[in-house]
Amino acid sequence: MNSKTSIFRGITLIALVLIVLMPFILPSVTLATEILIFALAALACNLLLGYTGLLSFGQGIFFGGGAYSASLVMIHFNFGLISALLISILVGAALAFIVGSLSIRRTGIYFVMLTLAFTQMAYFLAYTFSDWTGGDNGLLDVPRPALNILGITVSDLKSSESFYAFVAIVFFVVFVFARRVIHSPFGTTLVAIRENENRSSAVGFSTNHFKLVAFVISGSITGLAGALYAMLLNFAPLSNIDLVMSENILIMTIIGGTSSLLGSLLGAGAIVLLGDVLSSIWPRWMMILGVALIAVVLFLPGGLWGGVTSLFNKLISNKKNKEESSTEVSK
Amino acid sequence: MTNKYIKCTALAISVASLSGATLAQDDAVTIYGVKSMSGAFASYGKYADMGSKLAVDQYGELLGEKPNYKVIDTEGNAGKALRKVQEAISQKDAKFFDGGTLSSTSLAIGKEVNKSGGVFITPAGADELTGVDCNASTFRWSVPTYGAIRETVIPLFKEHPEKKRWYTITPQYVFGEALLSNAETVFEELGIEHVGNSYHSLQEQEFSGYLTNAMASQPDVLLILNFGAQSSNTLRQAINFGLKNQMTILVTWSSGLEQFQELSASVTEDVYFGAQYWHTVDTPLNNQLVKDVKDVYGITPNYPLAADYISTKILLDAIAQAGTTDPTAVANALEGKSYEGPTGTETVRAADHQVLKNYYLLKGKAASKMNDSDDYADIVSYGKSFPDESSLECSGI
Repeated sequence: MNSKTSIFRGITLIALVLIVLMPFILPSVTLATEILIFALAALACNLLLGYTGLLSFGQGIFFGGGAYSASLVMIHFNFGLISALLISILVGAALAFIVGSLSIRRTGIYFVMLTLAFTQMAYFLAYTFSDWTGGDNGLLDVPRPALNILGITVSDLKSSESFYAFVAIVFFVVFVFARRVIHSPFGTTLVAIRENENRSSAVGFSTNHFKLVAFVISGSITGLAGALYAMLLNFAPLSNIDLVMSENILIMTIIGGTSSLLGSLLGAGAIVLLGDVLSSIWPRWMMILGVALIAVVLFLPGGLWGGVTSLFNKLISNKKNKEESSTEVSK
Repeated sequence: MTNKYIKCTALAISVASLSGATLAQDDAVTIYGVKSMSGAFASYGKYADMGSKLAVDQYGELLGEKPNYKVIDTEGNAGKALRKVQEAISQKDAKFFDGGTLSSTSLAIGKEVNKSGGVFITPAGADELTGVDCNASTFRWSVPTYGAIRETVIPLFKEHPEKKRWYTITPQYVFGEALLSNAETVFEELGIEHVGNSYHSLQEQEFSGYLTNAMASQPDVLLILNFGAQSSNTLRQAINFGLKNQMTILVTWSSGLEQFQELSASVTEDVYFGAQYWHTVDTPLNNQLVKDVKDVYGITPNYPLAADYISTKILLDAIAQAGTTDPTAVANALEGKSYEGPTGTETVRAADHQVLKNYYLLKGKAASKMNDSDDYADIVSYGKSFPDESSLECSGI
């Protein structure tokens, strides 16, 4: 295992450095927290899109499902932080199992349309059951419980800094877990399915089972992100579960770079920051986002992370070439 | 080397703390305008921002210094709005907020501002703001659904007592249900026959099916209970179907001048509209506001501009009256305050922080009868209708 594939080295170290630096270099800690939360959702989407080749518009269902489930158990049953997050993971996984088990029966455009239809359905369910979800007003008064471990209060998480630290730890743990998944035999099988599903099936893999497990893992992480977002805002808006949320998560994943977990962090950071900075300059800033998406798809197929790595590789090869030519001259 | 690094770090921290202290010494009052400057509601936010900015610019010195105004762009998204408000509170010690077009945004911001002990004034439509979700920090300028229905349905029925069969088209969410329930109460009081209702979803843009059902019920009046783009689309399609010749149409919750401009006089002619504000209202403050807005922006003030102008102005007045930036003192100054607003004398009810003001019933004019390009409607009637204090659902104040 080299530094590139090592779980605790390579991009994991870069991710760790970025997580530590973000609250200091960004305008605010809450902005940094929002970026990490959406990076979690984009990372989960990347497991599907980047590593399994599944373009899912269902991510909003898991995000909203996680947000609502965690909020409801905290509001109505006084669940603590960890148990509420576990519920959001379970709900995200269960929803992904339902959506996934029906959607993966079809491929290509039909798969995409099925996930789209599920998202619309989930939105209207949340909208209809307003006694539980708050409907279009959103679910208000979502608590942010203290972090208790074995009965000891580690932090009350009231300050934005302490909540950032908690989200950063969660992000890092999920990042390492995702790295472990993609470098495992399971992860390489997912890549094989992405590259050629028929061949993977022909050599004996039950591709639908693999895709379903990928869906469930992705759903559980997205559900966790949704719960953390509700805790950050003390509020679960209806927009958490709508199609625009699914689109945003997909855009973050594509702009950051599919097939790269660190790209998810870059993508989430770019989109959230672009929104923050550009919206105050130009009301039609979404047009710039459209241009950025077109530019990335046309000129940076590997996304922002792909651009960074190719630039880095060019610099290294230029340096090597210079060194080689100077050695030849001296000879 | 280590010592040098520690010294540099200590120096940097000291400089940072000093600059923070300098910033903290800036005592000028800052009003934070929560507006949809981008996203789906940007056209509304633009005017709301103009209103707040005008109120702050016109204000003289407040507690010895000129007040400041800073806009927070909600991006039309409640989550984004809330996060930015949290940042303003934690980083800039923001205390005074106004705006918030969307009900979801305003409800969430009201809670957040209340948690930090600030003051927030909004023109948002959700009755919960001064109802079940009321709190000590949140004030609302716009008339609730109760008043909007009573000040439109009752005067229209008085004008046309022969029109006893009414049909409703309702958006199926909290706001629409509140309008419908109030309408049904009034129907019962007046002996109006409610011949049918069509529910539609939040995202509906095609209303021909609902209008066909309405036509089949042969009502005397079509009461449209949705708002914004949906009410404009319903009305346009109703006109295309020829409903205006068969029945009277009332849009109970219009967005005012902006909606008339969007629809044009050919659509709005002879249609009744309910409105929170209209620029031809003859009150001293409104006459001055119309003049000032024409001078500064070259336009006629519309509802978002007037609503955010007066919200900002009364917030500044309350700070001046309290003589301090202590939010509790400012909230106390607002409670029970009576002032001359764009709709006449307006009063902030202490029990639920609802501003008691007029609501208007307008009737669209023919293009040939318009005195100027914005003279789209005549005021048919106006008045104040609010739930009695004993029936309020607000218990958080």
